[in-house]
Amino acid sequence: MSRLSGLWRRLRGQPRRQKPSAMPSVRYASSPLLASRTPPWRVKFMIGAIGLGFAVLIGRAAWIQIIENDFYLEQGASRYERRIALEATRGRILDRNGELLASSVPAPSLWAIPKDLQATPQQRRELAKLLGMTVPELDKRLAGSPNFVWLRRKVDDDVAEAVAALGIKGVHQLREAKRHYPEGEAAAHVVGFTNIEDKGQEGVELAYQERLSGRDGTRRVIKDRLGRVVEAVGDLVPAVDGESVRLSIDAKVQFYAYQRIRDAVAEHKAKAGSVVVLDVQTGEILALANVPTYRPDDRRNLTGAQLRNRALTDTFEPGSTMKPIIAAWALETGRVRPDTIISTAPGRMTLDGSTINDAHAHGDLTVAEVIQKSSNVGTVKLAMQMQPREMWELFSAVGLGQKPQIDFPGAVTGRLRPYKSWRRIEQATMSYGYGLSASLFQIAQSYTIFATDGEYVPMSLLAHDPVQRAGHVSRSARVISPESARAVRQMLQMAAGPGGTAPLAQTVGYSVGGKSGTARKQEGRGYASNKYRSWFVGIAPISQPRIVVAVMVDEPSNGKYYGGAVAAPVFSQVVQQTLSRLNVLPDQAVEPRIVASERLVPAEVESF
Amino acid sequence: MSVRVNLVLAVVLLASCFWLVRSSYESRRLFVELERAQRAARELQIDYERLQLEKRVQATPLRVEKLARDKLKMVATTPAVTHYVAPSGAWVAPAPPVASVPATGGAR
Repeated sequence: MSRLSGLWRRLRGQPRRQKPSAMPSVRYASSPLLASRTPPWRVKFMIGAIGLGFAVLIGRAAWIQIIENDFYLEQGASRYERRIALEATRGRILDRNGELLASSVPAPSLWAIPKDLQATPQQRRELAKLLGMTVPELDKRLAGSPNFVWLRRKVDDDVAEAVAALGIKGVHQLREAKRHYPEGEAAAHVVGFTNIEDKGQEGVELAYQERLSGRDGTRRVIKDRLGRVVEAVGDLVPAVDGESVRLSIDAKVQFYAYQRIRDAVAEHKAKAGSVVVLDVQTGEILALANVPTYRPDDRRNLTGAQLRNRALTDTFEPGSTMKPIIAAWALETGRVRPDTIISTAPGRMTLDGSTINDAHAHGDLTVAEVIQKSSNVGTVKLAMQMQPREMWELFSAVGLGQKPQIDFPGAVTGRLRPYKSWRRIEQATMSYGYGLSASLFQIAQSYTIFATDGEYVPMSLLAHDPVQRAGHVSRSARVISPESARAVRQMLQMAAGPGGTAPLAQTVGYSVGGKSGTARKQEGRGYASNKYRSWFVGIAPISQPRIVVAVMVDEPSNGKYYGGAVAAPVFSQVVQQTLSRLNVLPDQAVEPRIVASERLVPAEVESF
Repeated sequence: MSVRVNLVLAVVLLASCFWLVRSSYESRRLFVELERAQRAARELQIDYERLQLEKRVQATPLRVEKLARDKLKMVATTPAVTHYVAPSGAWVAPAPPVASVPATGGAR
């Protein structure tokens, strides 16, 4: 206690009692009031204490400013810097000639802050009318959230302008990308569509989502009080726009195929229909059209069965279209020649207790005539010479029971059971196309073996560049020899000619060949008695095949239902149009309807 | 002496300060201009896309065919009313009928 009081006294400047005036005191002034004598150690102590105080402050400042400055930098930046997202544009989808099939264009979206919204009843009515909804609907929408409500997304420019002209407080706009599909319903199944957030949902939009979508970028800027950008800071991450995807589809062929199948479906009061057009020389899909279809621009009815790309996703029993494949293999293995006689009398045969019928009894037929007249009995007699394994391998080689190698969502495999579980009667029915199933696309592709001198051609939905076009031939797999392919082509031509099942498939100027098919539809475990499916698969021109066209009409119910009567005319029209579009030279003599003028001789007046 | 040096330095400092103010003002002005030009470029790009799309919409096969048929009274060509010309300029006659081709093929 006495020590403390001694210290205190010393701090007040009183000299130690023990050693009075042992040290010389400092005189600060001459004024006697200030003349207290201060010991020099006290000055040093005070300087030290103040110095320490400053050192702490400087240390703290250095800590904040130099060492641990992230937090404050961030806080500072957040008060003047803004991060702006740079939106990437979704890539375009083009057809083989570079025509637009899908493209993104910005469209204004309208949104509102309901708690800020100030509108007279009159303004509300007008707003609702512009948005295409009733006032109660609008009110319900606004009641959804107090802070943010979409009024309508991706509206037309004039609607947005009209809404802006209303000048309602609390209604705002921003720009989003809207997808447009100029071809509309004709190419809807191939191109597909995106959802409101610009993500692919169907078709190519879904299959190539990664390539189409691109990557958003960002930039950091300093904005002033009015929200104007005054300076860019930091580095810019540029937006990477989506790549364009160029399809092998030809917009004109596609449209024409769609138009024809649509008309045929309407004419025959059918449920659905599909057309596939393949270019066998380049391995590209030229058209893939389906009915019923939808408008991809119109978001209201993007549901249900109409979305299905039936040519790829629906399987059915290929029926008579399998017969040429069986005949080709019988020729290939040397079991028969095209003129080998096969007895089909009396138009039916019994195998293991089951009866196989022909529509008409034919008697003795050559192999070529078996195909031409589409005789079940004749085909079964060819097929029963083969081993099940042999047939299974043949079917697999032409893509049946195999997933098509194209990048398309929902393409199905079809059904081909392993040969070990086949019974004899099943092998027999499979030879004329029952007991296995395939999509129309698979059937069309299997016919490439006849169109290319025996090679199964892989198909692509993307346009090849010329280098790939040259290289694609090497990717084809040989299934049958050129001689067998040529022989079957002749048979197919006979089948599409007079005396065949589908003379209506004929075109002007181009030789065609193909096989029609008609089947009762499977219902549950049996076959429906009055529901049919008709189709036709063919190649043209026969002398140097360029295209394979497959047409399928589901449930024609206007009297006619044979493939030769329902599907073959569609085939004929599509072939006619496609070949002239591809500048293919006619290979058949045509009676010219224009008279070529020699020089100096005036042209004859064309008569119609 | 040292006063004079200080005076000169002060003047230089002042001038440098004014220069800094001026150049930072200039840089802002140029930045705003650049920003405006970039926005204009974007707008033009968007317009280009939009116009291309509109052009395409006006030229879809459906519309072209309809106009050609209804307004211009055109008909689709068939090989019967076409003369085929080789790239050399020579006329190409359609191939003579192959033996197995049914003669009725062209007359349908």
